Amino acid sequence: MRDRQSDIEMQREAERLEEATDEAANLAGKLGLDQFPVNYWVVDYDDMNELIAYGGFQTRYPHWRWGMQYDRQQKQGQFLGGKAFEIVNNDNPAHAFLQVSNSLADQKAVITHVEAHSDFFANNQWFGLFAENPDATAMLARHADTIREYMQDPEIERAAVEKWIDHILCLEDNIDQHQPYEPVDAHQEVSEFDPEDIDDQLADLSVSEEVRQQVFDDEWLESQADDDEVASFPAEPEPDILAFLRKHGRQYDDEAGKAVEMEEWQREILEVLRAEAYYFAPQKMTKVMNEGWASYWESLMMADENFASADEFLTYADHMSQVLGSPGLNPYKLGLELWQYVENTTNRRHVVEHLLRVDGITWRNFHDTVDFDLVQEVLEPADLVAAPTEQELSTVDPEDPRVDADALAAAQAGELDLETYPWKLLSYEGLAERHYSLTKAQSRGFLSRVGQEELERVSRYMFERDRYDSVEEALAAVDYTVGWDRMREVRESHNDVTFIDEFLSQEFVDEHDYFTYEYMHASDDYRATSTDAADVKKKMMLQFTNFGKPTIAVADGNYDNRNELLLEHQYNGVALDIGQAQDTLERVFELWGRPVNLRTVVKRYDEHDVEVARRRDSEPTPEEKGLEIRYDGMDFSEEELDLEAVEHLAATDVDYDTKPEEWLA
Amino acid sequence: MGLRDDLERYREVGENRRQDLAEFIQYGDMGGSQQGSVRIPIKIVDLPEFEYDQRDMGGVGQGDGDTPQPGEPVGEPEDGDEDGDPGEEGGEHEYYEMDPEEFAEELDEELGLDLDPKGKQVIEEKEGDFTDITRTGPTSTLDFERLFKQGLKRKLAMDFDREYVREALKIDGWGPETVFEWARTDENLPVSRPWVEEAYAEIPDGERTAWESLEEMEESTDRVDTAQRIRREGVDQIPFRREDERFRYPEVVEEREKNVVVVNIRDVSGSMRQKKRELVERTFTPLDWYLQGKYDNAEFVYIAHDAEAWQVEREDFFGIRSGGGTRISSAYDLAAEVLEEEYPWSEWNRYVFAAGDSENSSNDTEDQVIPMMEEIPANLHAYVETQPSGNAINATHAEEVERHFRNSGNVAVAYVSGPEDVTTAIYDILSTEEEADQ
Repeated sequence: MRDRQSDIEMQREAERLEEATDEAANLAGKLGLDQFPVNYWVVDYDDMNELIAYGGFQTRYPHWRWGMQYDRQQKQGQFLGGKAFEIVNNDNPAHAFLQVSNSLADQKAVITHVEAHSDFFANNQWFGLFAENPDATAMLARHADTIREYMQDPEIERAAVEKWIDHILCLEDNIDQHQPYEPVDAHQEVSEFDPEDIDDQLADLSVSEEVRQQVFDDEWLESQADDDEVASFPAEPEPDILAFLRKHGRQYDDEAGKAVEMEEWQREILEVLRAEAYYFAPQKMTKVMNEGWASYWESLMMADENFASADEFLTYADHMSQVLGSPGLNPYKLGLELWQYVENTTNRRHVVEHLLRVDGITWRNFHDTVDFDLVQEVLEPADLVAAPTEQELSTVDPEDPRVDADALAAAQAGELDLETYPWKLLSYEGLAERHYSLTKAQSRGFLSRVGQEELERVSRYMFERDRYDSVEEALAAVDYTVGWDRMREVRESHNDVTFIDEFLSQEFVDEHDYFTYEYMHASDDYRATSTDAADVKKKMMLQFTNFGKPTIAVADGNYDNRNELLLEHQYNGVALDIGQAQDTLERVFELWGRPVNLRTVVKRYDEHDVEVARRRDSEPTPEEKGLEIRYDGMDFSEEELDLEAVEHLAATDVDYDTKPEEWLA
Repeated sequence: MGLRDDLERYREVGENRRQDLAEFIQYGDMGGSQQGSVRIPIKIVDLPEFEYDQRDMGGVGQGDGDTPQPGEPVGEPEDGDEDGDPGEEGGEHEYYEMDPEEFAEELDEELGLDLDPKGKQVIEEKEGDFTDITRTGPTSTLDFERLFKQGLKRKLAMDFDREYVREALKIDGWGPETVFEWARTDENLPVSRPWVEEAYAEIPDGERTAWESLEEMEESTDRVDTAQRIRREGVDQIPFRREDERFRYPEVVEEREKNVVVVNIRDVSGSMRQKKRELVERTFTPLDWYLQGKYDNAEFVYIAHDAEAWQVEREDFFGIRSGGGTRISSAYDLAAEVLEEEYPWSEWNRYVFAAGDSENSSNDTEDQVIPMMEEIPANLHAYVETQPSGNAINATHAEEVERHFRNSGNVAVAYVSGPEDVTTAIYDILSTEEEADQ
């Protein structure tokens, strides 16, 4: 329990931040964002760690992994020092958490970041897949109650519940995240013939085991099965393994030595965790976009709009560089860079369209004719929007679309603090001009770098109207809002995969120094392989498609007519981690109750080939083989299959390998 | 349930997955541990999933101005930064953390040890439970429950059926005097004379003769006893009296503290190369943890020596390397001095552990070290020889010590030529004292 002292402290912090949260929401609205309202909570360090561990929510089902994440979080805090975390959850209203001991600069950074996240939650269509109004806090708390009750039920062993949860979590990414969430109907029964149904019916008849074995022996059971047509299902491979197991899975009963129906609690927990997997899926699918989006608006509000006061700015810059400077492929950084690129290219295209209409300028002579310094100068925001506070208010025209007429009236009446919030005087149009991307220092030269190819393409699709006599006249017609308008469109419909696919270009890859790397069998290390945009895109697609995980689908729930489960790995040229796959199969067995099989394609490297490759300094070519792994509850067995048997699994139209052709032996 | 419970379950899960203790001592990474907490790596943390083969997957990197050209090695890929993204799995390295007490317990179990630490003649007054009582004290220690009970008792004792006495005042011919007498003697009620007089004064004249006699009054009036009245009307005021106040204060408990000082001596001369240093660290560190876990209060003295000896901090102890020769007695001289000054034998359990490769300057062992070891009182003296490549000529310190103290109960000599010997050495050292105790 918290003592009164800290309660007072938090109350004070909440009051201190009230203005910042209000104004951040106002500013976000003016910038064109349309967010869920955000409820802010001030919490202490321990609460913050706890929230992080529990995925941003206060009440989750009991599980050791939250404990693990908390432990890890706490140690990170201990060793790496404090860092401002943004915790906001996708809900309407959204809930966000601010740590009481953070500096004001950090708090503001979190607030601006969070407002943009909330806009993303509210408007991105992938979030809409789960529910327009997820009511997540209540849902997760309900789930927690359900599971906690089962754990406390004296009839059910707590350890059994925990194990069951573990099994399911191993498959939490094996859902069909491109489809809206549909609960599995509890009464939807299996219509297919199932000898084990008879088995169960026999058990219900309560005939003695002896009678049963003599009269209804296994042979008889099998003959019954043979009478029926071979029932293979599902008709199409089912990527939502959890749903399939929920419908057709059983549990293995150790004492009986066979599969039996799942208990009610098992079915319910399976469905509860499946629902949570669907709820969290959009966040995983849009991580780059969403973090980039939040970083973009955060940076605009904090740095460009002086939301951080001068003395806070250094702390803020430090925070930003920490977030963006983290190693590896950093979703914040990649996202931010891509959004800025979307903005810049949209604006550039728009400007180019106007310039190409100026008499005497064509796509061929564009670079020789256009005076880019002049263009840059003309595009600079007007004084009115660049420095609204220096305007004599009486001279400002309320009819100017860049001006917020109401705010102007309020300012003239002395009711508005323009010194602190100069943006209040401006409308969306005004702010778009004020923050026009092509005139920013870091984008200088972007316009002049437009490629010949792009110029030609633009001019080909241009209608021959609205000719301009001069560059000035053309630029006067430039709409400063096209960049932001486009960004909002993109944030509505895309996910990380489509976002990267559409916007990652060679220009982008070159500017930001992206490259691909591969593991080399010959030298037993990782080597850079390419800086080609197509290759970089390939690798990113691999990393972001299907949560960066291989696609595994249920191919048959009555495999070999023996009620075994057959999973198929839809092979895209990148092999499975077989060790992990086996560990996972053990878990799948627990949810199926009967033997489970997995078909995949493996790559075999011949030792001799590797040796030869090493000497020639090239890469060996592996032989691809089909492999079927079976787990029967006790042992694994493996069977190599001809490539024909797995041909339907191998996608021929994708290739994620970025090794240059000439490297291959 | 909640966080505490989830942490607890995590520790239990981690428990099942952590490295075996003996294996950890022999081969594990001790670098993650600190003196107060032992961190044992946990083998697998996360649940399995269908994943790509890491190597076959390759990846994307971002250069910083100088993008590596195709063909350039790029090092091991780093895990993507998952900071600020709860719910995603992070690093691979996890530790199971235990405090030295738990470590000592586990080691006892693992090696079959049972060292019983002795309480030294250090008597300390410690505060026990708040069970003693006094009449004055700070308000926070006031025994309010008692105060309340006493007040309630008092209230009950002073209480009487006022209505009933009022009715008695209405008997024809009875005045306050008679009623007071009657109440005090016949009824045994705690009435006071002023109260009776006041009550009589309040009764209107017309009612003072309402009853013919006492009998008539008793017949038509119900008496209400105290318990009933309190139940009906509640206790509106409890008389708290200063004399009922009692304050709790802690019991004084006399305790013998189990103090221990461990002197770690290490040869840092030129012949002690990397391998040997590591073996010393591997042997000494668990010994330190163990003794720290066994005793209430543990202090450590670190002495490095070549031909000279000097005291160092723990952080530096295992890393130091000097060039000079070796004279082991220099370390014992210093140890004797420190112990005498700061850790008197009457108050401290003492352990003196030395380690080296058994090389010593001629006659130093025989003439100096052995007499010193006999002279310095300690629970246990030990010498750990770390000699990865078997015996070297002239390296006879361990043998000489062992030969001399063969029948002594408080000197142990252990030989460690590789990590696999470490647990045996620890057992040999710690069991020497135990056997001597029996």
